[in-house]
Amino acid sequence: MRKLIIFLLISVFSSGLLAESNLPKGIIKVTPRPAPTLNLENMDGEKYTPYKNPSRWRFVHFWASWCGPCRREMPSIQKLIKAMSKDKLEFVIVNTAESEDTVFSFLGGVAPDINTLLDRDGLATERWRPRGLPSTYLVDPSGQIQYVVIGGQDWQNSQYQQFLRKLTINNDKNR
Amino acid sequence: MKIRKLHKPIIYLFAISIGLFIYEASLAAPTRHVIKNPSIKMVIIPRTAEQMAAFYEGREFPAKAIDATRSACFFTIGIHNKSKNIIWLNSLQWQLSSKASKIELIRNTHWKQQWKKLNLAQRFQSTFRWTLLPEQLDFHPDEREGGNITIPRQDGSFNLTAHFLTGTDKKGKPVVLEFKNLRCAKDNN
Repeated sequence: MRKLIIFLLISVFSSGLLAESNLPKGIIKVTPRPAPTLNLENMDGEKYTPYKNPSRWRFVHFWASWCGPCRREMPSIQKLIKAMSKDKLEFVIVNTAESEDTVFSFLGGVAPDINTLLDRDGLATERWRPRGLPSTYLVDPSGQIQYVVIGGQDWQNSQYQQFLRKLTINNDKNR
Repeated sequence: MKIRKLHKPIIYLFAISIGLFIYEASLAAPTRHVIKNPSIKMVIIPRTAEQMAAFYEGREFPAKAIDATRSACFFTIGIHNKSKNIIWLNSLQWQLSSKASKIELIRNTHWKQQWKKLNLAQRFQSTFRWTLLPEQLDFHPDEREGGNITIPRQDGSFNLTAHFLTGTDKKGKPVVLEFKNLRCAKDNN
């Protein structure tokens, strides 16, 4: 029994340590801070309900169609959403300050399966204080921002998917 | 012999059209100023008033806001931290000077006040703000960010000295980049 406890302690400790030290390129661990609210509607006019899935990590992504890295990254995010559909990760995609027409025509061409929230006046985005666009935040199930992803990334890269899976699995273990 | 005589004008025309093509291409391609060293890469691209107007028109900005942008020269800046340390951007510390005088960067707060005066809708203010280079930012290793800086429109050339502090505590060896003979880009009217 004692050996089992020691083994469990070591594995829990090492998994946490691994998550900290082996971060994929562009992901930064930050001092946790509460994620600002997102009282926004999506493209279908449905209100986003924060903490609808309180047991899940959230992948919160801010973008605009005029930003080059955002345009390049969006198809890869669509594929990531599909690849992680069975994982306990909630995707919250937020367009910053563009008209519905612009958003519809852009997403229709590059990522038609994505239903983005519309931050019509850009104020919700401001509250998150992104470093630039695109910006992605990883928010833990208690609503704390734990990681910031700088710039656009290739989410098809298995390193990122493994990292995200590890987060959700560790969360399940800790519950 | 006759054939040769016929070919001469064609060859001249061909040479002239190639010359024109090269000249037009040189006008259309924006000048890029690049400085690259082991720790940082910085790119400056001057933008013409029409390029900026077209960009903001494409984002449905009202004419009054686009007119306001014409009083400024826009330069798109790209910065890539190639080092393994934090590099601190503080554009307020950059020095810009022409032969005649010191040039002040137009602060982001100036634009905010300008938009307030023009009663510009919040969504346009937000988009404009995101197209500007942040005035201060800690660049993480391998981070790339970009955006525009603006100065009052002017004719002559000027130099820009960009200072960057380095290291988490800002006590590392500073990086200083000097760009010479920058000019506001002009539209070909």
